[in-house]
Amino acid sequence: MLCDDCKKNPATIIFKEVLPDRTVELHLCDECAAKRGLISAKKMSPLEVLHKLLKEKGARDAEVICPVCYLSLAEFKRSGRFGCSHCINTFEPYIKTLVKKIHNSDKHIGRKLVPGRKRGIEIYKLREELKKALEREAYEEAARIRDQLKDYGVEDVG
Amino acid sequence: MLDNIRWLIPAQKDNQGENPEIIVSSRIRVARNLDSIPFEIKMKNDDALRLLELTRSVIKQRLKGKFYELQKLTPLEKESLLECHLISPGFIKKDSPVGVFINDKGNISVMINEEDHLRIQGLSGGLNLVNISEQVFDVEEVFGKELGYAFSENYGFLTSCPTNLGTGLRASVILHLPGLVFTNEVDKVLKGAVQIGMAVRGIYGEGSEIKGSLFQISNQYTLGLKEEELIEQIIKLTHMIIDIELKARDVILKKARYEFEDKVFRSLGVLKSARIISTDEVLNLLSALRFGIGMGLIKDIPLDLVNELLIVSRPANIQLYYGVVLEEYERDIRRAEYIRNRLNNPESHT
Repeated sequence: MLCDDCKKNPATIIFKEVLPDRTVELHLCDECAAKRGLISAKKMSPLEVLHKLLKEKGARDAEVICPVCYLSLAEFKRSGRFGCSHCINTFEPYIKTLVKKIHNSDKHIGRKLVPGRKRGIEIYKLREELKKALEREAYEEAARIRDQLKDYGVEDVG
Repeated sequence: MLDNIRWLIPAQKDNQGENPEIIVSSRIRVARNLDSIPFEIKMKNDDALRLLELTRSVIKQRLKGKFYELQKLTPLEKESLLECHLISPGFIKKDSPVGVFINDKGNISVMINEEDHLRIQGLSGGLNLVNISEQVFDVEEVFGKELGYAFSENYGFLTSCPTNLGTGLRASVILHLPGLVFTNEVDKVLKGAVQIGMAVRGIYGEGSEIKGSLFQISNQYTLGLKEEELIEQIIKLTHMIIDIELKARDVILKKARYEFEDKVFRSLGVLKSARIISTDEVLNLLSALRFGIGMGLIKDIPLDLVNELLIVSRPANIQLYYGVVLEEYERDIRRAEYIRNRLNNPESHT
């Protein structure tokens, strides 16, 4: 079947519009469907949307800096990557708009976080403490921290 | 050291479920990051080492399988893991310390320190997304409980790139669509998939150079839908594409039956007899063979053997299968030998 609009190309899309008294059915080719705005001429992938949005200039971009990892908004816009788990809070509300445009949604409804022991953070802290203890040459304290680390299954605590 | 890849083959060839002649394999991947360590672009060498140490301690205590530091593998071994879809091309290129865990069965892998701290993925032959996702989330929970993931109520699991936020989930299937390629309809169908928000790519080669008629479809959006819904969308689209593929196959039978049968049996003849087969040639030969099995022309070759041949005949895999490093020419000879042996004597592993 040929496209109802151009009458030249074969129709690839059937578009149905339900009106109160009747249903209108249009058979269109890709090109004409795009002209009518029924489909986008070229569908952009989320990554393409992201990079297009990142190029748009904001008024006071460079001033916002993540207090945890020191990523600036300007840096985020260059790389398109977050620096840590806190960045997403730092760059609100810019992120909210961005995410909505990428995913057509700004609300996660999937799986929730399973509460964990946060062993990661604890081991991380112990490592820092161990380093400091060794710098101070507080060897007894260092030995105690090493034992704690071993309790977590971490060997090779140098 | 990987030794050889024979232990990885069962997970790669295993074939189950509906339309196994069209649905080659399924894959689920989730991206996760720890709350306590900076993400990729702000990560220092120390952070990367700590991440490896933390994950290794969890693996040692809670999971069964093997852990490899990528730096300690040879280029051939890395390439082989890539050919088995257990690691990503970007992962091989990373300078910082990275590691990969592969479970006992060889169907679950965890890339540590890829673009995200953890990329947990599972694969299976046939259409098996629901089952695979359950296995992936079992592993995901083990790491989550022990290490604590970065999470926000609004944006879900936090990822390095905003395009993976939310579920961090990518579900994909690899489809064999020779009917649509033959009838020149494949572009139209795949464009339609892109229109409804799916990503489509050829598995081997790009654009008009796609080899073996193998295509991958996957979800592009990760936020705003539940994991099950994302998976359901892929399954639905897979069913739609299968319907169109089957219709195209009917058209071929009506219009070009002898040309089609000729192509299938010629390919089988080459696979069973040739002495030199190149990396590219084998893709098209196996595609014709799979097509012939799907259409009921060939009944004595199981599809899981075709899956095995597809994976083992990749350039790095064929070398690791035999446990020797080979030049291209020798490789093509060994490949032909391996395929010949397997097809003429499917019961025995050479």
